Amino acid sequence: MTKFSQPNDLEQYRQTLQKQRDTKKTCISICSGTGCHAYASEKVVSAFEDQLKKQNLTNMVDMKRTGCHGFCEKGPIVVIHPHNYCYVKVKPEDVTEIITQTIQQGKPVNRLLYEDPELGKKIVLETDIPFYKNQTRLIFGNNRKIDPKSIDDYIALDGYKALVKTLTKMTPQQVLDEVKKANLRGRGGGGFPTGRKWETTKNASAEPKYVIVNCDEGDPGAYMDRSLMEGNPHSVLEGLIIGAYAIGAHEGFIYVRQEYPLAVENTEHAIKQAEEYGLIGKNILGSGFDFTIKVHRGAGAFVSGESSALMSAIEGRVGEPRPKYIHTAVSGLWNKPTCLNNVETWANVPFIINNGAQWFASMGTPNSTGTKIFSLVGNVNNTGLVEVPMGVTLREIIYDIGGGIPNGKRLKAVQTGGPSGGCIPEKYLDLPVDFDELYNIGSMMGSGGMIVMDEDTCMVDIARYFVNFLSQESCGKCLPCREGLRQMNRILNDITAGKAFEEDLELLEELSEVVQMSALCALGQSAPNPVLSTIKYFRDEYEAHLRGECPSKVCKALINYKIDPAKCKGCGLCTKNCPAEAISGEKKGVHHIDSERCIKCGNCLEVCKFDAVLKTTGKQIPISKR
Amino acid sequence: MAKEKTKSHFVGVRLTEEQKKALYTLQKTSDLSKTDILLRGLEILSEYYALGLDQPPLSIELKKLEEEAIQHLKALKKIKRREESVKQMIQELREVDEIIDEYGGEKNALIQILLKIQEKNHWLPKPALLWVSERLSIPMSQILHIATFYKSFSLEPRGEHLVRVCLGTACHVRNGPKILEAAEQYLGINSGETTSDMKFTLESVNCLGCCALGPVMMIDNEYHGKLTPSQVPNILSSYRVGELSMTEEQQKLAPIAQRPTPKQQR
Repeated sequence: MTKFSQPNDLEQYRQTLQKQRDTKKTCISICSGTGCHAYASEKVVSAFEDQLKKQNLTNMVDMKRTGCHGFCEKGPIVVIHPHNYCYVKVKPEDVTEIITQTIQQGKPVNRLLYEDPELGKKIVLETDIPFYKNQTRLIFGNNRKIDPKSIDDYIALDGYKALVKTLTKMTPQQVLDEVKKANLRGRGGGGFPTGRKWETTKNASAEPKYVIVNCDEGDPGAYMDRSLMEGNPHSVLEGLIIGAYAIGAHEGFIYVRQEYPLAVENTEHAIKQAEEYGLIGKNILGSGFDFTIKVHRGAGAFVSGESSALMSAIEGRVGEPRPKYIHTAVSGLWNKPTCLNNVETWANVPFIINNGAQWFASMGTPNSTGTKIFSLVGNVNNTGLVEVPMGVTLREIIYDIGGGIPNGKRLKAVQTGGPSGGCIPEKYLDLPVDFDELYNIGSMMGSGGMIVMDEDTCMVDIARYFVNFLSQESCGKCLPCREGLRQMNRILNDITAGKAFEEDLELLEELSEVVQMSALCALGQSAPNPVLSTIKYFRDEYEAHLRGECPSKVCKALINYKIDPAKCKGCGLCTKNCPAEAISGEKKGVHHIDSERCIKCGNCLEVCKFDAVLKTTGKQIPISKR
Repeated sequence: MAKEKTKSHFVGVRLTEEQKKALYTLQKTSDLSKTDILLRGLEILSEYYALGLDQPPLSIELKKLEEEAIQHLKALKKIKRREESVKQMIQELREVDEIIDEYGGEKNALIQILLKIQEKNHWLPKPALLWVSERLSIPMSQILHIATFYKSFSLEPRGEHLVRVCLGTACHVRNGPKILEAAEQYLGINSGETTSDMKFTLESVNCLGCCALGPVMMIDNEYHGKLTPSQVPNILSSYRVGELSMTEEQQKLAPIAQRPTPKQQR
C-alpha cells in the first residue's frame, strides 16, 4: 500500500472501494465484541468457515468479524446481509441450518430469531427489534458494519472524510469554532464544554502541546468506551487527528486499560494501518501537518482516570492526581498544555465536521447536545449498549429499549454516573436524561454507566459497596478522601451488620459533606454522592437497618434462612449442597437449618426445587404464626 | 604391595599405578568424565557380584568406589543446579533487556516495561526489578512505589491459573459477592491469595467490562458468565484435573445432586 500524499488520492481510493463492494452480495457479520467473544463467538466463526469451505461457497459469501453490536444479552449475534436477518444466541451447531436456509434459499431460520417477550412474536429484521429500533445510533452506528481490523471498511463508509475536509477546507480556528458551536460536552463524566477546553490549550503559550484519549474506563458497570475502542478505533483516531489540528498539537497519546487487551490490540493495529496510509505521521495528506500517536497501557488504578493522574501515569510515575489550580489544559503532560478527552468525545468530532454544528446541536437538549451511549446493565431484560439522543427519559431507556425488569420484579432505583454518581428512585423515571437534570437530582451523567436495580437490591448495601470501592481506590494523597472514606465505610459496615445507632447516620451525613467540600480531586469530591443520594431517597431503608431489618433481605447479618415444613419434601438436595453441614433431617422427612452453623451462603435456596427454603429478616417469627 | 599404591585424583580412593594408567587411558579414549568411568566400572563390577566373585578385598574396594562415585555425583548435581539457575537468571535478565530496549530505554516507559515483565512471569521477580532499576537508573524505591500502587502488579509469585471474580456494580447486583465466597470456600483461600499447590490465585476485580454476562468469573483468558454459586466448584475443579473432568455441557446436564460438592472433593 502506498501512502496517500494528497486528499484526492484518498477520495479516489474510497470511490474504488465503494465500487468494488457489492451491496447485494451475501455477507455474514458476526459480532466479536468482548461480550459475544465470551459466549464463544469465535467457535461460530470457525464453524461458518468450515461449512463454507465444505460447500464451496467461500467466493459467494463474505464473512466479517465486526465490533460490538451492543445487544450483549443475546450474544453471539449473527446478522446476514443484505437480508438483514438477525440471529441471536447462535451456537456452532446452528451454522449448517443457517447456510442451507438463509444463504442458499434466502429464508430466515425462525428458531434463531429474536422473540419479542411481550407479544411472543419472532422479529425477522435487525432494525425491527425494539432494542435497536428505539435507539439513535450515531457514534455507535458503524460498529456493526465494519471489521475493526480493516481500515478499508472504515474508509468505504466515508471514514476520514472529515479529516480531508478539515485539512483542505478549514483553518484550525474554524474547526474549533465548529466544535464550540455544536456545544459538545465531555462524555467522560464532568460534561465540560469540549470547545472551551480545546481553546484553552490552543491559546496556551507553551509548546509543544499534547492531546490524549482517555480510555481508562474504570467505572464498574460501564463498558461503552471499550466497545467503541474495540469496534471502531478509526473513528476515535480521526477525531483525535482533527482535534490535534485545531489545537496545534503534534503528538497524541491513547491511554487504554490493560484489562482491555482487545482494545489495546485493535488500537495499535489501527494506528499502524493509518500510518501506512499516511493518515498519521509527517505531512498528512500533503497538508504539512505532522501528527503521531502512541498507545499507553494503564496498569489498573481507578484514580488514574482522573486527568492529572493519567498524565502523571503517562510520564511513567504513580498515577496520583494533583491540585488543579492551574488546569491541565494549560499545564499538563510534562507541564505542557494538554487536552484530554474521553473516547466518545473524540469520536463525536468527525460527525460534527461532516454534518455541521447546527445539525449536531439539533439533537438532544439545548444544553446537552448530541447523543450519548449508555451501558444499560444490572437487573434489566436487554442488557447492552444503548445510544440515544440526550433528553430521552429514563423510562424510555429502561422499558422501551431495555425491555423492563426481569422476572416481573419492580424497579427500585437506577444508578448512573458510576461510583461518583447517585441512585435515582423510581419517581424520577420520566426525567429527561441530560447533564444538568441528572446533576440537579444528586446524581450525574458520568461516563454513561446505567445500572438498573430491582426490588431485591438493598440500597444501604449499594452505598456500602461504592464507598468500599472508593476507599480501596483512594490514592491516599489527601486526608479527607483517605480517612473520611474509611470512616464512612466503617459506619456503613456497621449499619449493614445491624450494629449502628441513629447518631451514626447523622455522623455519616456530616462526614459526607466534609469529604465533598474538602477532597483534592473529583474522586473524593464525588465519593459521597452514592451515600447522600441513597439517604435522600431511601432513608426508610437506612432506618430499617438501624432496627435490625434488611427489607430487601441482602445484608447477611440481618437475614436468616429457614425451611418451610409444609413445602419440604425431604429430598436432601440442600443437605448435599450445604458447605457448612448446617442442614439436617431424615430422608423424606422435614429438614431443618441450624442457624448457629449456617454461613448464609444461600446455596440451599438456590438448589431447592420446591421453594421450601425461605429468607427472613428482622426478629425471627416462627413460620407457623405468620 | 601396599607401597605401590599412590594417591589418586579421586579423593579417598587409592589406586595402583596400573589402575591409574588404565583410568587415564580410558578417560582419554572414551571422552567420559571420571564419574562416568567410575559408574561404568561399578556396573561391570556389579556383574561380578552376580557371578559370586565378591570376595572380601574386592568388595571393600567396590564399596569405596561406590561411595566415591556417589559423592562425585552429588557435587556434580549441585554445580549443574547452580549453573542452570545462573543460566535461567541470565536468560530472564536478557528478556528484561529486550523489553527495555523495545522502549528505547526510556524512563517514561517504566510502567509499560513493568507490565511486560508481569505478563511474561505473572509476577515481578526482584532480580528483574533490580536490573530495571540499574538500566533505567531509577531508584528501586520508586519502582516499588509503582509496583505496589497499580493493581496489575504482583510482587509475589502467582498460581498457574488466575481466577478473577468480577465485583463490578452490575455483577454486584446480580449476586457477584456470592460467587467470590463460593470460590474462596472451594479453594480454601481468601481473595488475593494463592493456593499452596500454586495452582490458583484468586482475585476480585472491579469490572471486567462484560456486564451483560454478570455475574462473571474469568479464569486465565476464559470468561464464565451468568453463574450461580453452586456452579463454581465444578468450574474450578475442571482446571485442577485437566482433561479428565466434566465438560461444561456435561455439567449443565448433570443433576445437581450428582455434581461433586466441595466436601467430597477435598
